[in-house]
Amino acid sequence: MIVGGCDVGSATAKAVLMKDGALLSHVIIPSGTRPELAARKAMDEALAKAGLGSIEAVDYIVGTGYGRLKIPFAGENVSEITCHARGAHWMSPAVRTVIDMGGQDCKAISIDDEGNVADFAMNDRCAAGTGRFFEAMARVLDCGFEGLSSLCLQGENPATISSQCSVFAESEVITLLNDGVELADIVAGLHHSIARRIHALARRVGLVEDVCLSGGCAKNEGLARVLEHKWGVSVKTLPRDPQIAGALGAALIAGEKSSAVRRAS
Amino acid sequence: MTGTSFQTFTEAAQGLVNPALQSWKAGGGKVVGYFCSAVPEEILVAADLLSYRMRATGSESTEESDAYFSNINCSFPRHCFNLALIGKFEFLDGVICLNSCDHVRRLYDNWKRYVPTEFVEIMSLPRKTGPDQVAWYREELALLKEKIEKHFGAEITDDRLKGAIRLLNETRSLQRELYELRKRENPPLTGAQALVVMVAGTAMPKEPYNALLRELLDELRQAEGNGGYRARLMVVGGILDDPAWVQVVEDQGGLVVTDATCFGTRTMWKQVDESIGDPLDALARYYVADRPSCPRMYGEQERRSELVRELYSEFDCDGIIGERLMFCDQWLVEHYMLDHDLKEESIPFLKLERDYVTSGTGQLRTRVQAFLEKMGK
Repeated sequence: MIVGGCDVGSATAKAVLMKDGALLSHVIIPSGTRPELAARKAMDEALAKAGLGSIEAVDYIVGTGYGRLKIPFAGENVSEITCHARGAHWMSPAVRTVIDMGGQDCKAISIDDEGNVADFAMNDRCAAGTGRFFEAMARVLDCGFEGLSSLCLQGENPATISSQCSVFAESEVITLLNDGVELADIVAGLHHSIARRIHALARRVGLVEDVCLSGGCAKNEGLARVLEHKWGVSVKTLPRDPQIAGALGAALIAGEKSSAVRRAS
Repeated sequence: MTGTSFQTFTEAAQGLVNPALQSWKAGGGKVVGYFCSAVPEEILVAADLLSYRMRATGSESTEESDAYFSNINCSFPRHCFNLALIGKFEFLDGVICLNSCDHVRRLYDNWKRYVPTEFVEIMSLPRKTGPDQVAWYREELALLKEKIEKHFGAEITDDRLKGAIRLLNETRSLQRELYELRKRENPPLTGAQALVVMVAGTAMPKEPYNALLRELLDELRQAEGNGGYRARLMVVGGILDDPAWVQVVEDQGGLVVTDATCFGTRTMWKQVDESIGDPLDALARYYVADRPSCPRMYGEQERRSELVRELYSEFDCDGIIGERLMFCDQWLVEHYMLDHDLKEESIPFLKLERDYVTSGTGQLRTRVQAFLEKMGK
């Protein structure tokens, strides 16, 4: 049985295909401005990668992410919170707390031993702790999104940045640059400020080990180390691309739904 | 719902003015707006005034009022004041504010200074709920009564006050009957529709409202009801007057069956005691101590939490959604305390922040959907 998950987020669209419980292929592309086109393109690429001729080969597909209502080929949609929980649990069954950091949202999700959501907390109308925040800072610091992580790891004396608001943090960064503070220390300071924000979110659901990050920002190694330092617990690296956790969760749910339908018929 | 009563209510809830209000004005009647459900409507009704609960329905921006408020002021007074500045409240003959919170208190200062409404007053409601505070608020009610009598040339006798109390108690008991129907397994109206009915009651003269509500109740008693929903929900919060917001919540598949909000049970779950001889005394007791408590009142968190849990089981709910306007200080800590109380009883609870004008519904949809999924619904 072949099933799929498609996660159209604010920044990237992800498609995952699975066969009999194993991962077949996955694709990550920019979302662009048309969610339905991004969904179609991501799924077509995933099909090609898996060596499948057409979408007809897929038994069932579940959609998720901000664009979940606009995915034409999805049989149903499930919130990305439930999907990230399921995807992270499949990749690493011992995980009990998932910090999902996407393009425009940051969520702390506590999950049970079956990968179900026990509780969640989400940032309120705020870009702190999201891809948007890191992108904005990378632009000001001219270091690229990927450069943030290595700079953060080099920072020995993290600068104090008190604002967690992206707009105000940017002003603070500019002040620090003009004061001649080391770039790496500024970047480390930014990560510390975001870590405080994530800490508050995680406190709301309770921080239970294992802890992992998912979503695009999970690839930021520097952030994981800052959080580890703050919490005194290790932040696990997911064994697969953390950015596909949502689409993977959607595919897993598609698998369950599809088997349930088969049993019933 | 097919009857004309619900259409009339919808019209009243969707705009600032409605035909019943317009014909009241056309007949020479006066309309007085009030800003908090602790303002005694009975005194206004006894003076033959149409009591009008302030809302900023239909407001699209705060560009005019932002010159008078900071960006950490609540969006509710900012939208109200914006509408006032662009002349949308010219139908009001008076406005009564209350020190419900600092944001509304300062709205009074701005209103008095910049909006040419003839009668602009502010009342002071105590924070504690003991007998001393009841006596104190009674004085405040007597002062308001005097001011209204003087300004509007009315004579508010005890008999007229008692009549107004009876009339408003009737409204409250009809509204409670409406809520009774929502206890059914298949409630005959959605949460968004119920809010329409409640909001309409704050914008129309009470006699025609009560008559229409009776008609609606007759229709609903026979109605088949809504089935097939994923979960029964309760909403806990403050000035939620926007059925569209409830609609977004319900579009995710849950049905809102009850609430503890300022356009819901807080205004009608209890009656004013008609057996008390002095009507001002009866009103003071009701508004300070007897009606469902609001988070601005001191030392009453346990009582509020208890009522939430009572309503939750009475209406057979599956989960609770807490809504709070961004920057609202009254509800700041309340939802966190409630969260802890509800966790102890394993009652699912979702805290949401919102702007007064419903927008950016993507996040709202995601949270409510995830909340239902988390409940296994």
